[in-house]
Amino acid sequence: MTQSLRENLHLVSDPRNLDSSVDEVFNMMLGVVCHPIEKIPVEEPETITAVVGFGGLLSGACVFRSGASAALVIAGKLTGMEFSEIDDTVKDAIGEVCNMLAGTWKGRVPDLSAKCGLSIPAVITGSSYQIHVQAPEFRLHHVFQFDDTTFAVTIICDGLQ
Amino acid sequence: MSEMRVLIVDDSSVMRKIVERSLRQAGLDPMVVLEAGSGVEGLEVLSSQSVHLILSDINMPSMDGLEFLRQIRAQNLAVGVPVVMITTESSEEHVKQAILSGAQGYIRKPFTAEQVKERVLPLLAAVQGC
Repeated sequence: MTQSLRENLHLVSDPRNLDSSVDEVFNMMLGVVCHPIEKIPVEEPETITAVVGFGGLLSGACVFRSGASAALVIAGKLTGMEFSEIDDTVKDAIGEVCNMLAGTWKGRVPDLSAKCGLSIPAVITGSSYQIHVQAPEFRLHHVFQFDDTTFAVTIICDGLQ
Repeated sequence: MSEMRVLIVDDSSVMRKIVERSLRQAGLDPMVVLEAGSGVEGLEVLSSQSVHLILSDINMPSMDGLEFLRQIRAQNLAVGVPVVMITTESSEEHVKQAILSGAQGYIRKPFTAEQVKERVLPLLAAVQGC
């Protein structure tokens, strides 16, 4: 591709890529069918956020966020184990889910796939916190659901070459 | 199939367990699994123990999977043992780098047990046939 990614912003920021990436990761690794929903889930007292950074042609991050109860369900389906609290294994599992989402999403655009690197996942737990990014190039934010479990995935692009 | 000894290198303990489960579902059972959380740990394992198969992540702290591969070859460790990379990086460039570094197979995350079976079993069959 000779054009820059900026000239193909519509391809990079296509919201369908996010939906199909979430569907692929959750279907293949957890055996569940996810679909995007419009409603904003009620924030639980304890939340977990995993962040995988992008670097290279695109800089930014893939952010996974859910309440504690959703994180326990997702980690349980991924590992085949049962969890009653957010321990290190749950954090590891959510970090890996975010890592696969980030990799799958960038793989949807050929130039991004080859020339955009991923950071090691960082996982944050707590309550009443927000992540701010000043003036991103674009931001995709979708809420997804399977069974009664909801979570949000955000792609933040703060730089594009 | 006789007991296989497999080294799984990934900084995520969850992913190591998922890979192990996929291998067992692929029919590699009985199997002894050795685990390492980084390329450095992987080299330590290989310096003292023999294995039939190595599966490694690429994006890892301290020593990534590609450097781990180069070091295996440079140090003449695990000679003739197939190495399969399991990673979120899926571009042709990444695959090419992995093959040039000495990998025989490549599995993209997310993956299914069936995909692991398709990539891994032929490599083991080829080694056992030698």
